Amino acid sequence: MKRLLRAPETSTVAILVLEILFFTWYLWPEAGRPHPFLNLGNFLLIFKYSAIYGIAAIGAAIVIISGGLDLAPGAVIALTTVVTGYFFVQAHWSLGPSVVAGLMVGLASGGLSAWLVVRVGLTPFIATLGVMGIARGAAYVVTQARYYDLSAQLPRDWHVAGVSIDWAGPIIMIALAAVFQILMGRFQWGRSIFAVGGNETAAIFSGIRVGRIKTSAYLIAGLTAAVSGVVLAIVQGQGKADLANGYELDIIASAVVGGTSLTGGRGSVVGAVLGALIFGVLRNALPQIPGATFYDRLIVGVAVIGIVVMDRTIAKRASKGH
Amino acid sequence: MAGLEFRGVSKAFGAVRALDDVSFAVAAGDAHAVVGENGAGKSTLLKILAGVVAPDRGEIRWQDERLRLTGPRDALERGIGLVSQETLAFPNLTVSGNIFAGREITRRGGRLDEPAMHARTAALLEDLHVPVTAETPMDRLPAAYAQLVQVARALAFDCRVIVLDEPTTSLTDAEVDHLFGVLARLKAAGVTIIFVSHRLPEVFRLCDRITVLRDGHFVTTVDRATTTPDDIVRAMVGREPPTRLAGSGEATYGTPLLAIRDFTRRPAFEYVSLDVHAGEVVGLFGLVGSGRSELLETIFGLHRAQAGTMAIDGKPIVVHSAVEAARAGLALVPEDRQRQGLFANLNVRHNLALPRAAQRRVRAISARDEQNLAHRIVADLSIKTKSIDAMPGELSGGNQQKVATGKWIATEPRVLLLDEPTKGVDVGAKFELHAIIRQQVRAGMACLMASSDLPEVLAIADRILVMRQGGLRGEITGAMATEENVMRLAAHEAHSIAGLAGSTTPGAHA
Repeated sequence: MKRLLRAPETSTVAILVLEILFFTWYLWPEAGRPHPFLNLGNFLLIFKYSAIYGIAAIGAAIVIISGGLDLAPGAVIALTTVVTGYFFVQAHWSLGPSVVAGLMVGLASGGLSAWLVVRVGLTPFIATLGVMGIARGAAYVVTQARYYDLSAQLPRDWHVAGVSIDWAGPIIMIALAAVFQILMGRFQWGRSIFAVGGNETAAIFSGIRVGRIKTSAYLIAGLTAAVSGVVLAIVQGQGKADLANGYELDIIASAVVGGTSLTGGRGSVVGAVLGALIFGVLRNALPQIPGATFYDRLIVGVAVIGIVVMDRTIAKRASKGH
Repeated sequence: MAGLEFRGVSKAFGAVRALDDVSFAVAAGDAHAVVGENGAGKSTLLKILAGVVAPDRGEIRWQDERLRLTGPRDALERGIGLVSQETLAFPNLTVSGNIFAGREITRRGGRLDEPAMHARTAALLEDLHVPVTAETPMDRLPAAYAQLVQVARALAFDCRVIVLDEPTTSLTDAEVDHLFGVLARLKAAGVTIIFVSHRLPEVFRLCDRITVLRDGHFVTTVDRATTTPDDIVRAMVGREPPTRLAGSGEATYGTPLLAIRDFTRRPAFEYVSLDVHAGEVVGLFGLVGSGRSELLETIFGLHRAQAGTMAIDGKPIVVHSAVEAARAGLALVPEDRQRQGLFANLNVRHNLALPRAAQRRVRAISARDEQNLAHRIVADLSIKTKSIDAMPGELSGGNQQKVATGKWIATEPRVLLLDEPTKGVDVGAKFELHAIIRQQVRAGMACLMASSDLPEVLAIADRILVMRQGGLRGEITGAMATEENVMRLAAHEAHSIAGLAGSTTPGAHA
């Protein structure tokens, strides 16, 4: 129990629960009418849309913990939808190979970021800002102001093993979060990520292969962004260059709200997914409040600051109580 | 017995020859000190030994075999452990995570074996008498324990050679005793210890033999039994210690130019009262963490004093900011010229002109005024720069320090506050800076100089105030100003000055 209370994700869970309780109370309907927020269908909706940036937030958290930053995921998501759409719609490949081609976008952009940071020695902000432009630009070049309509060729009311394809995103998000939480916490690789982010010089002196560790982080960030892109292409049924505009900030915010420190060395991938859900709930519930629609971005912005300040205060108090 | 041997080791970084043909031997099982001034090549030697940099020429041999280190991991695996300054810890990991970083105990597939690492950590910590658990986060450890965790790290890899780089800079006296107790036991167990420090009392306390480096060259290796600290200082500096510049009777003891009473800012310092008169240099000596820098910064208005009063030339004053302080005639040359003293992105002229412009509320900058000022300061302080438009990064450390000092001399202060005025500069520049300070004082300025460089304090201060744990512990003047007396006040439990007078036997610190 004590261990559970001290886990870094606990405060994020608490915020999520409070948020759900608040909207459940605030949106409580008149007698006899269904609850617009608290119902299974709505929760699936929240999960479905949160997964699109929640998956990428896993990789973003890993990069940030390793002491880096990735601004490219929004653009990588868009390019992935375009590449997957191109092969599936234009080149008439079957879905599997098209998806693999889309995932290659993630490895390529992650690899490019890693090369720029590790070999060329650019700061992560500049390197990934450049990669962001390249990826977004490539998506426009490929589509030439058109878009690929995947939905027409995807099965209607598609079920895999009896489960609606709508669940694919949430399931992938939870599975990846579980896998990376274990890799980060219980494996040498994850420990090295924390070490490099905590003190790079000490990591060099400890014989940690810092370049390889950073490279792995950017590759994973690229790959998770590409997975997000594939999920978006299938959920939205589109491959389009202007999708996921500005998502990089939502993705970074998810990681940070989930307890990942932008200075590196601290954080959690499960926290990042919980952070994505916190924003997912906000995005879902706010439009249901009459007149709140226009306040959407404003409230999200305030929430980012509020949650991080709250989290830091809690952390400070916890360490003082020690 | 064949131990560790350096043979003709050379290393250059660009045009700087950090090490030039250095050869000496360390007997196995010895505690061997490597001493030298800043820039002597100690840290380069350590980095080569730890596998962080490769030598350009020469070799290191361990038990008659050549060591070709491919990296820090390789050095560890061959039994050479580096205990570096605490900046090389991982604050975000646990104690156990720190000890095993880079070489975790794993099960199949790289899965961490936490129970094994915790058990090993617990055993090591118990052996070193460190009362923390393996799961304690590193950032909650006091400095001494953090240092011992690094020792534990070397032991975890069964290192036969442990290299300690300035391990005591942030430790209290009791903590140093603890560390030295551990090192004595390791030595008894046959571990070879290489100890790099600028604190000669500690070197003499721990080490059997002492190697002196100067300007990248090997100078000598001597037995502790056959040498004295003075001999070592002479070998380090390469000349006789300079004659005392201070005490030349230039001070005018009337109303002090700077007077503070009961200055307090907890936890840094409490109830500090001192006077500095026109024409005198008051040395403020204390070890790291004694509160000197905080005191100077508070006088200069960078922090608020919680209690106490200050007067400049007899007039009570409260300063709330650096610019107010500058207008009141104070100037502070901070300790870290890279971070606090200079703007790396501005040229020498702009650096020199900046505080003066802020002090005098200059709105529109006149290029000619700036140039005149810069030429004057560069000439007065004999700053070696190819032009006043050169960037600070193009200057040597000593000349950078002169710029950091000169920009405040340009404000024509009445009270000059100096924090480690010659930190990390070469010997020649150091003496030049000392001469500059004395020259300013001769012109009627009052100077309060904080320094942990004892020879420096002894050389140029008229009076020495000793600070320890946030309080003044005594004042030493004239003939009482010996290294032993100052060190004793700075490092030990309270002694009265009267008590000191009778016990000035050299070697009491050994």
